[in-house]
Amino acid sequence: MRPRSIVIAGVGGQGLLTMGSLLGEALLRQGYKVSVGEVHGLSQRGGSVVVFVRYAEYQPSPVVAPGEGDLLVGLELIEAARRLPLLSRSGLAVVNDFLLPPPAAQRVPSREELVASIGKAVRSVFIEALPLAEKAGSPVAVNMVMLGALAACRSVDVSLESLKSVVSARFRGAVGAINLRALELGYEEALKKLGEEAQG
Amino acid sequence: MAGGSISGEAGTRRLLLGNEAIARGAVEAGISAATAYPGTPSTEIVEALAEVAEEYGFYVEWSTNEKVALEVAIGVSMMGLRALTAMKHVGLNVASDPLMSLGYTGVVGGLVIVTADDPNAHSSQNEQDNRIYGMHAYIPVFEPSGVQEAKDMARELFDLSEKYSTAVLLRTTTRLSHSRGEVVFGEVSRPSREARFHRDPERWALLPPYNLRKHRETLERIERLRGDLSSWRFNWFAEGDGDTLVVSAGAAHMYVAEALETLGVKPPLLKVSSVYPFPRGLAEKALEFERIVVVEELEPVVEHQLRVAASEAGKTPKIFGKELFPRVGELNAQLVASGLARALGVKYEPPQGPPAGVELPPRPPTLCPGCGHRAAYYAVKLAAMRARSNPVWANDIGCYTLGFYPPFRMADFTWSMGSALGIGMGISRFSKEPVVAFIGDSTFFHAGVPGLINAVYNRYPIVVVVMDNEVTAMTGHQPHPGSGFGPLGEPRPRVSIEGLAKACGVEFVEVVPAYDVWRARDATERAIRYVREKGLPAVVVARQRCALVELREKRRRGEKVTVYRVVEEKCIGCGVCVDRFACPAIVREGRVVKILPELCAGCGVCATICPAKAIVPAGESA
Repeated sequence: MRPRSIVIAGVGGQGLLTMGSLLGEALLRQGYKVSVGEVHGLSQRGGSVVVFVRYAEYQPSPVVAPGEGDLLVGLELIEAARRLPLLSRSGLAVVNDFLLPPPAAQRVPSREELVASIGKAVRSVFIEALPLAEKAGSPVAVNMVMLGALAACRSVDVSLESLKSVVSARFRGAVGAINLRALELGYEEALKKLGEEAQG
Repeated sequence: MAGGSISGEAGTRRLLLGNEAIARGAVEAGISAATAYPGTPSTEIVEALAEVAEEYGFYVEWSTNEKVALEVAIGVSMMGLRALTAMKHVGLNVASDPLMSLGYTGVVGGLVIVTADDPNAHSSQNEQDNRIYGMHAYIPVFEPSGVQEAKDMARELFDLSEKYSTAVLLRTTTRLSHSRGEVVFGEVSRPSREARFHRDPERWALLPPYNLRKHRETLERIERLRGDLSSWRFNWFAEGDGDTLVVSAGAAHMYVAEALETLGVKPPLLKVSSVYPFPRGLAEKALEFERIVVVEELEPVVEHQLRVAASEAGKTPKIFGKELFPRVGELNAQLVASGLARALGVKYEPPQGPPAGVELPPRPPTLCPGCGHRAAYYAVKLAAMRARSNPVWANDIGCYTLGFYPPFRMADFTWSMGSALGIGMGISRFSKEPVVAFIGDSTFFHAGVPGLINAVYNRYPIVVVVMDNEVTAMTGHQPHPGSGFGPLGEPRPRVSIEGLAKACGVEFVEVVPAYDVWRARDATERAIRYVREKGLPAVVVARQRCALVELREKRRRGEKVTVYRVVEEKCIGCGVCVDRFACPAIVREGRVVKILPELCAGCGVCATICPAKAIVPAGESA
């Protein structure tokens, strides 16, 4: 098989590195060779952040090059749009329907423009992750909602069960419970949206 | 994960960062000490080691700078013990003085110097290739090509270092340091050696009568390594189809391996991890081929060694390298596949992604909500206006470098650690406008003090604003001499920045809380006037502990953060808080502004500077 490539895009502070390492661990437990590419340092201070997760039967390299991505998980609309060129034309974008304009930015496209241009470029579904995270018990759990949503996508061979097992190994107590609930809610929501998308 | 990411018995499998893998290798090798000054992408090595230092019984320190870190490690090696020191690529410039002589002396206890290079300059001022330092200093350079190999190689290099009595450079790059891959742990060896000073003044005292002899011995050692490394287990040759040999060096092998799968070809392949000296036996093997393609990131280090070997052997193979693969920026499997396809004469069309389809605003990193640096920049800018000056803004390396971006634009240059003072002085000697130099607390200890002493001694009219957040924040909150604690969180003495400045002979030293913008403004205005009148340096310390640390500790103590809110009826929409102060927690909403409670850190500086007094603590009425 050629390596599968997942691109996780968002803003520093949204918990992208955690998503990457959890997904990497889940894939590892499923028997794949895994590479998770991160960039630290400057990027974490509210900047644009991208994390690559790649897996195959042989050891893949850690970088997703343009046009290679099978799945783009966007935690913010501008950042999802920014990383679109990394996605293959037949790829899928699963995007948190949330706009965070960069501070002091001059011209910011509207939510509608962003949703439309992502939708025009690739197959895509949009998820309102914040209410789901709040329903799970914490607004911080948006990343877990999106991780759950990712498990619903056929193009990635990760099961909700294996994600749940790595999440419960990493987080204990109340945080663990919130995260597991957020994973499930994201998974269910994405399944529903993907079903609608397939019919529409 | 109790005990940290690299704690565990032999056979444990874990998804580790390349940096953590190197740290694990050092633990398995039985190090006695690890030292570092933090710097992306190297920081997690000693961070991971600090987490397990007590468990495995070795010493860890955050040193004031890379030169000190290397020197401490050399001292440990002279005691017959194993030591690791880690730094980012430009950190090795700071450590290069002891490094150059270390090539002559060699070592007793195994000494591994990790240089974490940053191709693409993701978080650095340049993308220098530190493999060249190895050549310059006669120190062999080794480069792993994967996370597991990074662990295994780090462990073995301590043996090699002792066998050949030489320090070694372990070169990693951002993509390896910050990639996660599976690592299988090995046994941790705890060598039962006695710490003993290996007294040998003729060897360690680098004095004229002995230096040339040592130079000669060093050359012999490198030649011995050039021969012996041919059979080193991390170098290997694989037979293949066709008459074009592919040579993959270090981290580039990650991309080569994938590119060959993508192209569906299997040329003869020489994977090299001992990148300097390039082993003689491998060069001979390579020169059996008429066509050789060398894949390596950045400079043509292996390529040039191979060209020299060909020339010495009187052979004229066609060697491809940098004409196929870029010298600027980092590689990926696609770039490598494109280059290899050309050299091997196969078809390859790189895939094309969809365009974004809409113009996107850039999102540079920003100072966090509650960051004291933002308040300090705001105050200093006001001070400069009140002093009717248009200062040259000298800036340095750390979180506060973000003052480069709008709306502040207060970094006319940033160079290397401590250069705000050094270069700032050169400018101030001839500038009519004052020079205001910003330098962080950690950077001040690292390389600012000699500059400040120079400013006093040579009478420079420069305002130095120390942006003190009491920790090395940019790299993830490592402690420094002003923090008051050590790498394991244990209490340590605090070295006073203002005390140092006074001891250097600076007469104008003021300390202000950064959140108190009016006090900070007035102190800086006085400093600018003092510098103008007296022609001498002035120091203002703008102090506010890093907001991220503060928030984390509040959370730990169960304290609530009092966030602020905008009283809509009072807001006049002037934009001072959004456009000039630019806190990410404050956004425009129609005519007025609003504060995002989930981002607000509760510093209250926006309430201070709001001309309409429209910002109040949430819960309070206006």
